[in-house]
Amino acid sequence: MGALLKEWVFTTDHKRVGILYLIGSIAAFLVAGLMAMLMRLEQSTVGLNIATSPDDYNVWLYFHGAAMILGFLIPGLTGFFANFLIPLQIGARDVAFPRLNSFSVWLFWAGIVVALLTFVIPDKPDVMWTGYPPYSVKTLGNTAFYVFTVHLIGFSSILASINFIVTIIYMRAPGMGWNQMNMFVWCTFGAFIIQLVFVPVLAAAVTMLLFDKYLGTNFFNPAQGGDVLLYQNLFWFYSHPAVYVIFLPAVGILFDVIAAMGKNRVFNYKAAVYGGVFGIVLITGEVWVHHLYVAGMPDWLRIGQMVTTLLISVPVGLLVISLWGSLYRAAITFNTAMMYAAACLFLLLVGGLTGIPLAMTVLTVNLSETAFVHAHFHFVMALFAAFAMFAGVYFWFPKMTGRLADGPLATITFWMNLIGVNITFWPLFIIGFRGMPRRYYDYAMFPEFQPYHQVATVGALITGTAMALMVINWIWAAAKGKKAENGNPWRAKSLEWTHADCPAGPGNFPGPDPKLDADWTPYNYAK
Amino acid sequence: MTKTLKNALLGFVLAGLPGLAWAAPAATKKNDYAIDPAVGWDHLWNELLIDIMVIGVVFGIAAIYMLIKYRATSPDQVGSGPKFSNAQAWAWALIPAAIFMADDFFLSAKGWTLWNVYRRVPDNALEVKLMARQWQWEFDYGQGVVTNELTVPVGRPVVLRMTAEDVIHSFFMPGYRVKEDVMPGRVTYIWFLPNKPGKVVALCTEFCGTAHADMFTDVIAVPEAEFNAWLASKAKKADASPVPANRNS
Amino acid sequence: MANHSASHAGGAHAHHWEISTYPAIVAVGVLFLVPMAFSAWFVYHSLLLTVLFAGIGTPLVLWGVSGWIGEGMSHKALLPGVAVAGLPVFIISEVFIFLSIFASYWMMRLMADVWPPEGTPAMPFGLPIFMTVVLVTSSVTIHIAEEKQEKGDLAGFRSMLMLTIALGLVFLACTIYEYSHLLGIGFVPGTNAFSTVFYSLTGFHASHVLVGAAVFVAVLIPAFSGKTNLTFTKCAGIYWHFVDLVWFFVVSQVYFW
Ligand code: HEA
Ligand code: HEA
Ligand code: CUA
Ligand SMILES: [Cu+2]
Repeated sequence: MGALLKEWVFTTDHKRVGILYLIGSIAAFLVAGLMAMLMRLEQSTVGLNIATSPDDYNVWLYFHGAAMILGFLIPGLTGFFANFLIPLQIGARDVAFPRLNSFSVWLFWAGIVVALLTFVIPDKPDVMWTGYPPYSVKTLGNTAFYVFTVHLIGFSSILASINFIVTIIYMRAPGMGWNQMNMFVWCTFGAFIIQLVFVPVLAAAVTMLLFDKYLGTNFFNPAQGGDVLLYQNLFWFYSHPAVYVIFLPAVGILFDVIAAMGKNRVFNYKAAVYGGVFGIVLITGEVWVHHLYVAGMPDWLRIGQMVTTLLISVPVGLLVISLWGSLYRAAITFNTAMMYAAACLFLLLVGGLTGIPLAMTVLTVNLSETAFVHAHFHFVMALFAAFAMFAGVYFWFPKMTGRLADGPLATITFWMNLIGVNITFWPLFIIGFRGMPRRYYDYAMFPEFQPYHQVATVGALITGTAMALMVINWIWAAAKGKKAENGNPWRAKSLEWTHADCPAGPGNFPGPDPKLDADWTPYNYAK
Repeated sequence: MTKTLKNALLGFVLAGLPGLAWAAPAATKKNDYAIDPAVGWDHLWNELLIDIMVIGVVFGIAAIYMLIKYRATSPDQVGSGPKFSNAQAWAWALIPAAIFMADDFFLSAKGWTLWNVYRRVPDNALEVKLMARQWQWEFDYGQGVVTNELTVPVGRPVVLRMTAEDVIHSFFMPGYRVKEDVMPGRVTYIWFLPNKPGKVVALCTEFCGTAHADMFTDVIAVPEAEFNAWLASKAKKADASPVPANRNS
Repeated sequence: MANHSASHAGGAHAHHWEISTYPAIVAVGVLFLVPMAFSAWFVYHSLLLTVLFAGIGTPLVLWGVSGWIGEGMSHKALLPGVAVAGLPVFIISEVFIFLSIFASYWMMRLMADVWPPEGTPAMPFGLPIFMTVVLVTSSVTIHIAEEKQEKGDLAGFRSMLMLTIALGLVFLACTIYEYSHLLGIGFVPGTNAFSTVFYSLTGFHASHVLVGAAVFVAVLIPAFSGKTNLTFTKCAGIYWHFVDLVWFFVVSQVYFW
């Protein structure tokens, strides 16, 4: 037992590092999800409800936002999935820097520990996941813990990006050309480029915040020549691209699941890669002002970045065309993974298309900072990206554990999840459009919204139950689930299925190093 | 260059043109200052809703159709998705890109036009200064008149020059479809046109601490004559007492 | 392009789960040393807790880092020499940290009515030039050191390396001298927008010089017992050149603009 523990804690194997990421990320999800339940219960009637003071609500909301994005989605997608899959899919025996990889995962865990300390320290941070000064400088809450959560998880991401960019460039199996990589590898490669360039900016921004609050510097202090909006510009210069750090790997998972379960090639692969992925990488740094439309930025910036923001629908549209096209003349078998993937297509449409009114400067003057925004991003992140993650977990479950997680409970929780989230977030579009602001524990000015909030709360309770059951099902299936009879239960063609065991062992490939032909692709079902 | 590639480029141009054709007049059109921004907002919102609903329905139906139609009939069946020549691949990238781009430019032009209305304050606007602090709004009409609710005359544009004392707040009037952040060290502005008598709510939409959700107040539109009388009586009271009456924080 | 570890070519031999204790130890050390100790001091004003956390964190970090370097010196990488490819990637992210601070500086400066703001003393002229010369020289000496190592001239390598470290320390001494002078006349980080930027930029750069010098020390110690690793030296060298390059931007922006 002690030896086993040691083998896990000090592991430098990419698959085990990946699973350590997964455990941390699901833990963050459950605790942050619990906070969401509390917030929904608080909002279910007008007035102070289950919280003893508005500050309770603010702390829940802070933790929910920060942990869901920094602790659940980003580490889940670029930590767990990238670690577990990329070396297997490109035919490498590990990443380029295995020790650095182990360091990354433990930095991430350190970040989770600091985030969780929120609940035990006396002056709980309440700065929201965005941490805007001057509030975050003036508050009595512990902004330092917010900053260090961002730092630890941020540096963990930077190190992971370096590791994977080098791994993808230099460690592909002999014969694997650029156009023979899995879509997941490409999408995640894009995500890592984004992280490498933009996370440092976030790190700098929160460091300035730390200095302003605790060392008395003047970065954001207008009274001493500082700039109030500087932080917001730096923050969104990273945090907008961060949404594509979430979006891209999620799309990559969908491509791989849909192609494998549809036994089909990816429709117009090169357009998806060079137009879609790299289009996003190229534009994503020029749109941050769409989070500052109502912050008093100069008009030319608001208009200019309205255009660039709208233009993101072009690369995303190319990915959409390829994703949809991969269904065309496919031979689809539905397992749990494919059901989640199919649901994702619709969640992507709702979430993405409601980004369009937000992208229009002039419409945003009414929609910004309302529940409409909140519904938009829950559809893309909490629904689309999270469902894509679940699809991936079900799909690669046999590779991790040697067992299948599919079964009646998986199907039931899928439907409960899908129905629950839709019940939760559609009402928020409606009240958001009619003026319900974000970050409100109470809405005394809008008593007529109470029924909508109650519907949302019911939906959240359904989702919460389903999520908890789903995680229990995973744990159960890892120990007792049906054995995957061979290395390739879905009869897929990419390297992790054809060349590695179930579960994949040390060194990844039991046989000699994979070598690939010139016409090999991970999607060559029909020759 | 192969024929298909030529066709693709032609398609790119043809699909792009309508977007530009729409965009050009919209961007150059002279703005009618009499227009009420809130009415323009509702109009644009309806157009946009149609736009995204069409896109959503088209892609949604396509997905449902294919998910049902292309189910495997036997476990050994494999898909037969098309394999493209270079030219076909370009066509499938350029044509959709052009269509999407056309829609983007169309929306940009529409958005820009209305935006100009939102930002150009009419000359006859009534100017009120707004000061925000945790957790209260303070409206200053000049002549020593300071209140915590905003009272405005119907039919006359109102411009708010806004700044904050402590942290960032955001002044939002859903009834007039307008909001802008209010922050220390800078002055921002919004204008709106009270079009009928009555009350709407104004709220704070930038997180500003414990009572952020309680930082709301009324915006009361009254007929112009009534407004003038109200202002005059307030000004008289302000003259009488040297300290602004409303510092009740 | 797609090349692969030669050590595994055709390798159907048994694999086992690889482990290394040091990275996890460093991570735990960082947790105690940075967030915990910082908060204990600046947020909770507790000397006891600060000493406790720093006392746990510092030895863990030192132990972990030295063990990690030891492993790095001796272990064979899956793909030999790949670190030389990784370092430039790391430098890209560093560039963006510096850029964010510069961008903040430009935003504040260009939006200000008067610059430098009130309370700024005259900046020295000779010292920064001297510091520039020192740093450029050290870039040359580390380059010579690398060449000596490649030729197998271990003694020459060591002396050039020591010279580089010494130059780095001279640079840091200049910084300390200047800081103590400026702080002495009341120009502290909180004085105005310029002091904030001045201390952030020069301080952040100086911390890079310090890290670079520390890395050289880590190269130097095993070199005394004859152990060297060319990849490691090369990486340290590239990093040092980068730090040198950044200095040109710092010096031109904060002293001579
Ligand atoms: C994974 C996360 C994710 C993703 C992918 C997106 C995607 C998009 N988002 Fe979203 N967004 C968030 C997460 C995300 N967002 C978060 C977390 C916030 C709030 C942050 C906070 O304040 O706390 C936010 C807020 C936010 C705002 C700011 C609102 C405000 O605070 O005032 C805006 C404004 O422009 C915006 C726009 C968009 C757009 C245009 C896209 C586009 O990328 C969408 C593109 C997709 C489509 C358009 C659909 C598919 C495409 C087609 C079918 C092709 C044809 C389509 C057309 C031609 C239109 N988002
Ligand atoms: C990945 C991102 C993500 C995800 C998955 C979610 C998931 C959910 N979110 Fe969240 N949310 C955000 C990201 C996300 N959210 C962000 C970024 C914000 C903005 C923060 C800010 O404004 O700063 C936000 C804000 C936000 C609010 C805003 C309130 C306000 O503005 O006043 C609300 C309120 O309804 C909400 C609700 C929910 C709900 C009901 C879910 C549900 O889907 C959750 C599902 C439920 C569970 C996962 C619970 C399952 C488990 C149990 C019930 C048992 C627990 C057991 C143990 C701990 C052992 N979210
Ligand atoms: Cu003031 Cu929120
Ligand atoms: Cu964004």
